[in-house]
Amino acid sequence: MKAIIIILIIAAILFFWFIGIYNKIIHQIEAIRNNKKQIDIQLDRRYKVFESLINVVKKYMNYERTTLKDVVALRGQAQKATQSGDEKSRMAAEDGISKIASNLSLVFEQYPDLKADKNALQLQEEIVDTENKLAFSKQAYNDSIEKYNATKKSFFESVVVGACSSKLNFDFAYWSLPEEDIKKQEEYKVKL
Amino acid sequence: MRNYTQTKACDWREQLVINKRKTIGVIGLFILIYLAIGFLLDLYAHNGFAPGNFTNVFNALFTLKIIPWATITMGGIAIVALYVTFALHDRLMLLGTKYHKITSTTAKTPEEQQLYNVVEEMKIAASLRYMPKIYLIDADYMNAFASGYSEKSALIAITRGLMQKLNRSELQAVIAHELSHIRHGDIKLTLTASVLSSIMLIVVDILFYNAIFGGMSNRRQGGGNKLVLIVILLRYVLPIITVLLMLFLSRAREYMADAGSVELMRDNHPLARALMKIGQDHRDNSQSYKKEYGQTQHEDLRRAAYIFDPIDAKIDPVVSFTSLFSTHPSIAKRLRALGFKISS
Repeated sequence: MKAIIIILIIAAILFFWFIGIYNKIIHQIEAIRNNKKQIDIQLDRRYKVFESLINVVKKYMNYERTTLKDVVALRGQAQKATQSGDEKSRMAAEDGISKIASNLSLVFEQYPDLKADKNALQLQEEIVDTENKLAFSKQAYNDSIEKYNATKKSFFESVVVGACSSKLNFDFAYWSLPEEDIKKQEEYKVKL
Repeated sequence: MRNYTQTKACDWREQLVINKRKTIGVIGLFILIYLAIGFLLDLYAHNGFAPGNFTNVFNALFTLKIIPWATITMGGIAIVALYVTFALHDRLMLLGTKYHKITSTTAKTPEEQQLYNVVEEMKIAASLRYMPKIYLIDADYMNAFASGYSEKSALIAITRGLMQKLNRSELQAVIAHELSHIRHGDIKLTLTASVLSSIMLIVVDILFYNAIFGGMSNRRQGGGNKLVLIVILLRYVLPIITVLLMLFLSRAREYMADAGSVELMRDNHPLARALMKIGQDHRDNSQSYKKEYGQTQHEDLRRAAYIFDPIDAKIDPVVSFTSLFSTHPSIAKRLRALGFKISS
């Protein structure tokens, strides 16, 4: 009798432990999904900010009217890639927009008139803010994947994941640059 | 201005693990002491200090043959006290300061807008669900603190001096430090420890006066001596122990928040620069800041929560027993944990 009770208690503890781990991993998976959407939100926000930014810059110089067109084109590529689920070309397009952003910052440095404009100053803060938010949302996304992968692969948790593999076992890709881009960025040198 | 050099990479993951372990140790010790005090009270209530009675009552309590009502009551009081403290705490923390709230729509100057942006950026990096409330304290000294018992009620307050004297990335590092306090649950933790220690000290005080004044009648029975000795010892040693434990806890959590700041920024330089600047600024203006801290009421409420303890710069807003020790590790030690070495 005593043995049965002890076994029952142990079974109950194991059961609740199992549920606890299951729920924890579900939360982590949803956090990853939400963090991925957060990147989309920031990308969308950036597009709108840059449009208004380029409009301000245009007033001061004929700063490559094509830039706006470039942003729009890259944006179109990114959206198309998102719809077709092609992560790689989407990331490439978004990185293209990032490069335009750093060029814009350089333009600010070169034109004192522009630097003095209060609107433009606010917009410059806006560029930094926008790029930071985007970078940090990517970082948060990768962090949540790290947390999930570490949990998934540790002992005990891995048993639970093995038992409910269809609901708990996913392979999320870290947000990263494509190989050839990494090489290009590594070899990049500032020309003065 | 002192210089600093990076001596090793900042391993924030390791820092987090080390200080988490320290925290578990301190909190475990706290709960043990709390239970021990309750147990002592139960022993006293069941006359366990009468001669020959001790082992019997001790065993009966330990095996739960006598229900330890005093311990249970103390537990209940702790829960109620914690609830009340949590509910009132975020408003208490700003007591005595002149402050105003900053939102995305009420930011008046570009600086305030930048502050709001920086907090929002760090919120995204930490993937917090709620935007913390931001308060700007109208003071020249450079300091910042976080409060709130959950993500939802979290607030970050920084002084105008800090906002104006730090550049964007340094400000960001300070905000990341404060947000890390919030996401690590430090406010809840230190509040719990301080509420528990206050209750403990009150209970020991009650026991002390009971033992002294009730001691006469007990002594006639010949059993009070042991208790009186223990209680007198406790009354003078326990406050020191709790203060030391609280300081140890608070320092461990500071290291953790520093590591958390590096985790969010992925860069240890901005925080190091910010800490150096804040420390230097306090030394340069120690006279005027002494006055300003002194004029702000209830400064003692915020001391442990600040990113920089004014006492490190020999500015002592409240003279008390705890002022002998800083709630924070020294700037040099914090920089060392971040991988830097100060050279003058």
